[in-house]
Amino acid sequence: MKRIIAQAVKELSQFRRDRLTVALAFVLPLLTLLIFGYAIRLEAKNIPIAVQDFSNTPLSRRYTERLFATNQFQAAPLLGGSAQSVLDRGRARAAIVIPPDFADCIQRQEPSAVQVAIDATDVNNARVTKSYIEATTRFFLRISGLQSVPQRLQARIRIWFNPGRQESLYIVPGTCAVVLWIYPSLLAALAMVREKEQGTIVQVYASSLSALELILGKALAFLVVGLSEAVVIITVSVVLFQLRFAGDPTPFLLGTPIYILAAVMFGLMLGTKAANQTAAVQGVALVGFLTTLLLSGFIYPVSNIPFPLSLISNVIPARYYILIIRDAFVRGTGWTGVWFSLTMIVVLGSVLFNVARRSLSRMQVSD
Amino acid sequence: MVHHPEVEVTPFSLPAGSMRLAPVIQVAGLQKRYGALTAVKGIDFTVQRGEIFGLIGPDGAGKTTTFQILAGVMEASAGSVQVLGRPPRQARLGIGYLTQQFSLYLDLSLNENIRYSAGLREVPLDRLMERRDRYLKLMNLDQFGDRLAGQLSGGMKQKLALCCALIAQPEILLLDEPTTGVDPVSRRDFWDVLAALANQGVTIVVATPYLDEAERCNRIALMYNGEIQQMGTLQDLRIGLGLHRLEVRTNDLATTEQVLLDAIPPLPHETPPPLVDVQSFGDRLDILVPDHATGEATVRQVLQQQHLHPSQIDYAEATLENVFVTRLRQQGADPPFIPLPRSLPRTSRSLAQPRGSNDLAIQTRQLYKTFGNFRAVKDVTLEVRYGEIYGLLGANGAGKTTTIKMLCGLLPASGGEISLAGRSQNLRNPDLRRQIGYMSQKFTLYDDLSVVQNLEFYCGVYRVPRAQRREKIDWVLTICGLTGQEDMLTGRLPGGWKQRVAFGASVMHEPEILFLDEPTSGVDPLARRQFWRLIEDFARRGTAILITTHYLEEAEHCNNMGFMVAGEVVAKGTPSAIKAAQPGKLIEMITNMPQVTSDLLKTVLDPWRVSIFGDRLHLVLDHPDSDIPCIQDLLQEYHKPDGTILELHSVRAIPFSLEDAFIGIVQRSEQTT
Repeated sequence: MKRIIAQAVKELSQFRRDRLTVALAFVLPLLTLLIFGYAIRLEAKNIPIAVQDFSNTPLSRRYTERLFATNQFQAAPLLGGSAQSVLDRGRARAAIVIPPDFADCIQRQEPSAVQVAIDATDVNNARVTKSYIEATTRFFLRISGLQSVPQRLQARIRIWFNPGRQESLYIVPGTCAVVLWIYPSLLAALAMVREKEQGTIVQVYASSLSALELILGKALAFLVVGLSEAVVIITVSVVLFQLRFAGDPTPFLLGTPIYILAAVMFGLMLGTKAANQTAAVQGVALVGFLTTLLLSGFIYPVSNIPFPLSLISNVIPARYYILIIRDAFVRGTGWTGVWFSLTMIVVLGSVLFNVARRSLSRMQVSD
Repeated sequence: MVHHPEVEVTPFSLPAGSMRLAPVIQVAGLQKRYGALTAVKGIDFTVQRGEIFGLIGPDGAGKTTTFQILAGVMEASAGSVQVLGRPPRQARLGIGYLTQQFSLYLDLSLNENIRYSAGLREVPLDRLMERRDRYLKLMNLDQFGDRLAGQLSGGMKQKLALCCALIAQPEILLLDEPTTGVDPVSRRDFWDVLAALANQGVTIVVATPYLDEAERCNRIALMYNGEIQQMGTLQDLRIGLGLHRLEVRTNDLATTEQVLLDAIPPLPHETPPPLVDVQSFGDRLDILVPDHATGEATVRQVLQQQHLHPSQIDYAEATLENVFVTRLRQQGADPPFIPLPRSLPRTSRSLAQPRGSNDLAIQTRQLYKTFGNFRAVKDVTLEVRYGEIYGLLGANGAGKTTTIKMLCGLLPASGGEISLAGRSQNLRNPDLRRQIGYMSQKFTLYDDLSVVQNLEFYCGVYRVPRAQRREKIDWVLTICGLTGQEDMLTGRLPGGWKQRVAFGASVMHEPEILFLDEPTSGVDPLARRQFWRLIEDFARRGTAILITTHYLEEAEHCNNMGFMVAGEVVAKGTPSAIKAAQPGKLIEMITNMPQVTSDLLKTVLDPWRVSIFGDRLHLVLDHPDSDIPCIQDLLQEYHKPDGTILELHSVRAIPFSLEDAFIGIVQRSEQTT
């Protein structure tokens, strides 16, 4: 135990000494949080829509007004061109053509067709635009009293957990998960590989320190660093993005140290495998960053990931931590929702720990 | 001012009885294979408690591998190794190991480094504090406790590393080239500490490329090609060599050397010929002969036939370097000497011609350099002629590298004049630059390029004509012994080889002025000899060479030299002149208790005047006639608590080595300031 502490104390003094590393350990996570927190917006707003109204009657104008009544769409000027040319030039994402007989047909209680052309370059937003236009059209029919038959079936929708549908509540906890994976593991990987690069590892081999003690000592040091990062990140999220605990915070308070420890183990494991600092940084950037960003359910739902890749997502600890942290700040269901996730993080962390320990187990210079 | 406090070290806990008789380290039939390569091919040796055991040998001889196995950080492929009666891995707590790279965390302070080493070995806090204070004092580092290790000089770093290794009070110290790149004063300091430790019962196994240092070991093993070629005390090795040394001084060294070399029959010899080896130094030739008298007769006779007349022939003992080189030559390990294939016409300037002002290749007047308020170089005035080898010597931080960088135009001077090849203006001029070669202290090669890619790159940089590039590159590969391995990554070469490639890269364009900043640091003695033959060949062809080195034995190759202390040139002249200018005499003293004698003498003499060389002491005395009787009286009064008295076996004057001169000059000039 004493030797583990000695190892951890040494790591922390080295960490503290290097101002650049200290700055990186706290500035980079904050920057990541701010960029992700403010820049990632999945929901499109103010989509430019061009309306070519050939009818030009009070009814057609009411329909147009209804379309722009929310901040979802914004009118794009036609500037004398046709609906198609506006789409071609990219001035509007959708074009709506109201036929000349629009008002007449409706007054005659005959169906009228409004033409909608949607630019589907951005697949997701095309879908959003489509359903929004459909919904607006239905709503217009209802309030204008044009719907002859009353609807037999109505879906009464209530939005749970995030009633205001604040996107930051979705993005920011996920960002915390990404940040708390990447940076502790990066620091740990560098600390491990630097000993190898500078040859000081031979001194460790020559002492009777075991691989277990070496790894635990380093892990302890970077757990401390990681936890201070976590405090900073969560505090900033609370202040800037109005994150609040939604329920029992115990799973989160317990899960965060375990998750950071798993991240540190991941870093140490990369550090034992990588030959130099560059390789270690690239390892963390490629393996760590890409998987936590894309395969963890941070942005895209895990269920959307197609088959062979979805298997990988099962072994990404960030995937489970995202569930825990979202539960803590959004869902608030407490233990019921997250005990499995916590178990998975423990399991994956121990696997990483064992891989690291095994590759160091000889504690000898390799041939 | 270097000062050694009284060494007051508690004896190491010796397990009762048994250990004193059994050797501390026993190695039998040790082998290590890396894939197809056998690095160590079955070596046997034993080391007794309290012994300083030296391992010397060229790069790639298997020394580091042996150390790693002894330290328990690598498995042997075959053979048995017992350290403290156990396999090395189980004996690790009793071993202190200094690796070739600095074994320190440069971003931690001295105290933090020591605390960490102690923590790894579970040294209790109170002992840690007591030992830390004691060892830091012993190493003269006590006032730097909070300084970062990275801010220490090379010598101080190694002393700190030794402190860290000592903090757990190991019974064995394994030191793998601990003094490489460390200046002579610090090196001598370091060895004094080692001698004190050995006297307290610490067993020390040490590798070093400095053969003058290796002479301070109790026993020496010469390793080559994974085998121990020879082992014994310095005296044993000299006797085993069966050769003596003649120092020949003459006006025309180059011709004399050639004539004598021609007189040596080619290898292998059945019986030693009357002349075995000739080596040229700055102002003399060393000739190895089986017998002094017949050797001298042969030399005189051979030179007579060519109408050459040596001015002086002195008798001397073979050095460890002679043993090393002769022995390895018999193994066929001598790297080839091939002069650079030249395209430029040979310059007619040579040292033999009378001096003229346009012979000056490098000239500085009152050169100054200040960094902030620190004066790195003060009032340096030097002149180097074409065809001359000028050595700039000094401790780390004396201003040698700064001076070279100013001369190369890499650093602007703060004051003074520089003229290179007759120009004093516009030193960055490309035409002038092409006449200059510069090999810097740190490796100038790209580790991630292959050897041949590096050489091609430098050919391009120095605009070597395309038609000659192949020939020049082949030459570098041949002198480095890398023919056929040119596609190897440079980063994978051992340090000594890298230095040779770097040297080759800096001279391919046939410079007329060559700056070499510690070119031979970490290079083994055989390769160093080849280095010097190449350097001398350049000088003979009219190149002016300014060189810095830590190896004072090889500084003897210089025609002229300047000693720098704290940015100033404090002494200059030929090697012989500098040695002759030393006040006082060097006295060799043999007693039955060298360490006790040394401790006693240091109470009455400046500590730098006393050093231990294996079983003898070297003293620098300014007034030997009056000092020696006083010393004898002092030693006679001493007797150990158990009644043993100090016996003085012999006292005699021996010639100063350049290193003695260097240390004397540095110490005296530091005393006056």
